[in-house]
Amino acid sequence: MADTILKPEELQPATDLARKTLEQLDRILLGRSELHRLVLIGILSRGHVLLEGLPGLGKTALVRTVGQILKLDFKRVQFTPDLMPGDVLGAHILQETASGKREMVFQPGPVFTNILLADEINRASPKTQSAMLETMQEGSVTLLGTTRALPQPFFVLASQNPIELEGTYPLPEAQLDRFLFRLLFDNVDAEVLVRIISERRRGELPAPTWQMERQQLEQLFQVMGRIYLPRPVSRYIARLIAATHPGAAEATDAVNKYINYGASPRAAIAIAEAARGHALVSGRPSVGFEDVKAVAQPVLNHRLILNYQARFDRLTTSKLVTELIDRMDETGLNLPKDVEVAAG
Amino acid sequence: MNATHSQNLRLLERRLKWLLALRASVRLMTVWLFLWGVTVLAARIAGLPHALWLAWGILGVVPIALIAAWHSHKRLPAFATLRARYDLLNRCGGVVMSEETADTAAWQDRLPSDHAPKLRWHSGRPMLLFSVSALFAGTALLIPERLANLSGHHTLEIGQIVEQLKTEVQVLGQDKILEDKKVEDLQKQLSQVEKDSSDSDPSKTWEALDHIKESNSQAAKQAAEEALAKTTALTQAETLAQAMQQAAEAGMSQANASQAARDLAGMLAAANLENGVLKGGISPEMAADLNHLSGADRERLQQLLSALQFNKNSLDHTVSDLAQLKLIDPSMLAHCRAAGTCTNGCSALAKYLSTCTNGCKAGQMCLLLGKGGPGGGGPPAPLTWKEGSSENDLKFQQHALPPATSLADAHLVGLSRSAPQVSDNTVEIQSGALMDAQGNGGSAHAQAILPEHRQAVQNFFKRDGQ
Repeated sequence: MADTILKPEELQPATDLARKTLEQLDRILLGRSELHRLVLIGILSRGHVLLEGLPGLGKTALVRTVGQILKLDFKRVQFTPDLMPGDVLGAHILQETASGKREMVFQPGPVFTNILLADEINRASPKTQSAMLETMQEGSVTLLGTTRALPQPFFVLASQNPIELEGTYPLPEAQLDRFLFRLLFDNVDAEVLVRIISERRRGELPAPTWQMERQQLEQLFQVMGRIYLPRPVSRYIARLIAATHPGAAEATDAVNKYINYGASPRAAIAIAEAARGHALVSGRPSVGFEDVKAVAQPVLNHRLILNYQARFDRLTTSKLVTELIDRMDETGLNLPKDVEVAAG
Repeated sequence: MNATHSQNLRLLERRLKWLLALRASVRLMTVWLFLWGVTVLAARIAGLPHALWLAWGILGVVPIALIAAWHSHKRLPAFATLRARYDLLNRCGGVVMSEETADTAAWQDRLPSDHAPKLRWHSGRPMLLFSVSALFAGTALLIPERLANLSGHHTLEIGQIVEQLKTEVQVLGQDKILEDKKVEDLQKQLSQVEKDSSDSDPSKTWEALDHIKESNSQAAKQAAEEALAKTTALTQAETLAQAMQQAAEAGMSQANASQAARDLAGMLAAANLENGVLKGGISPEMAADLNHLSGADRERLQQLLSALQFNKNSLDHTVSDLAQLKLIDPSMLAHCRAAGTCTNGCSALAKYLSTCTNGCKAGQMCLLLGKGGPGGGGPPAPLTWKEGSSENDLKFQQHALPPATSLADAHLVGLSRSAPQVSDNTVEIQSGALMDAQGNGGSAHAQAILPEHRQAVQNFFKRDGQ
């Protein structure tokens, strides 16, 4: 045996930290436990998250709270059609020095932070959107031939409004693929609303009672890197991604009918990383099939390109992914249909 | 790995192997039973002879078991895959399946409680099909013959008769009674008749068989009659030759010897041995020398006797074969064997030949001697008749005659060309209320009339006539 999986005493502190973070999030933002869990998993996976929902559902509040709890530098950019790349990345400004000389000095943009909230990212022009490509993928900014690394960790938590599409620029597939998760904000139910109304006067959020130190965050990242991914699980992830392509061996009828292009290998990597994060948050040293199932939906949500038939039939990627996961045998036992291995 | 988890996994693997083997066996058995049932049923409907159907059916189970075992081995998932399923079902969170490549000892105590997964086989449809197949096969095997014979086209049980006729044809061919081509044609014809025989039109088959049987019988009778004639001539010639040998020792004159030799040649020529169905004969040199044969020429006579005996044996063999196959009446065999035999042997003829002075007819004498008579006979003499015996004062033994009905009451029922059947006086009732009762008399009875009563009977009928 080549590897040794995390020992309980190694895993437990990291799991406790993650749970504390979730407790704080759940305490501050009511009624969105599962969403908080996924956002934390996205951060642990060092991925960028696209939050999609109607105005007033708490997207900005969530990002701000995460920044507060993790004690990370947080900046917000409101994307508008006239926003230029330099407004985000930074620009060289002509300044006069004390000696009277004039020189170009780099003025960092809001992207030089740990957590960047790109609010209503789809309202910016494609030029500005594409300026985010390098920052999201490489974690650096190159201007006038000089590459400057962004502070680590660096996360982009972008939001976009699914309505009011006039005057917007939908994100291109290449940029969508760079987001680890696409999380949908749903309306909270009435009981949660009652609690919000009674406990949040004027919508003010309570301050976090506990904050994670930078060292603890590094510890979390280290433990995250040691979460073990068994071969059957990695095989399942690969089969799942392959099955999203029309004509694949395990593709369902719906996939063949409604999908033009399936998920990329980057999606497989994203699922594997996110599943590791889910296992860590769940207190397990290795990734199980249930971890993959839990993160497959947000990972694949924005990576499957549907055809017009799907739009006509009002079919969403969520339904397709759900059906695919339900129909696929995780372990690939390939037993006859009339033979079943059930729990004892 | 946790010992219990390990045991459960092995148990799961074993159970799955058996289940897959059972499943494959049921499916294969279903197909096998169906095919076997169809074959058995088709064979029975076609009227094929009974074979070891049950044994064949059971024998088919062996390859099925082997194929099922092979299929189970091939279909069994890899152990790593089974372990992954076990991990999933027991909610082990990937720890159990990590054992494949990582050390998980620290987590064994923290794994959830172990439960051996259950195997379920939704066997309703396969078992239903298997039951139907088994039922079908059992029905095909056990269905009564009369129900299985639905085709309406059944061959007749004429194998034995055909074999007998084939043997007859073969024997007739071997004895040269029938030509080889004819034999071949008949054999083919018999095979075709057997093949084409059908219970829907049995008369056609029986007519064909009767025709061949009749043809064989005719050929056999013709051959037997020919054999009888030739054997008679051969025996007479043999007797004459033997008589010539003995007469030569007793001093037969040269004239008598020449006459006897000519007669002998004439008899053999009349026998016509070289012609007919049963060809035989003596060598041409020997036949040419017959006219010059003398009794003193012992060696040539012996050769002639041997040739004649050979021809007789050949004929006897042929007739024996025919009799053995019951193609001819056994009495014909006896007739052939006794044909031409002089009751007094050849000594009387030899004596005649040696004493004959004025031209003797040896062949004629043989025939005369053959009819018997006291002594050696002699030259022809006139018959003398004495007075007839008187019937006066003769006492006849009285016998009661059976009651006779008047001929006036007789009705003509029919005419028979053959001799009427003669039975004794006792009539036994074979059925009905009078079974075992005996009756006597009636016009249908034939009464043996003793020689001493014949005259009285004739007188009785003469009186009726008057």
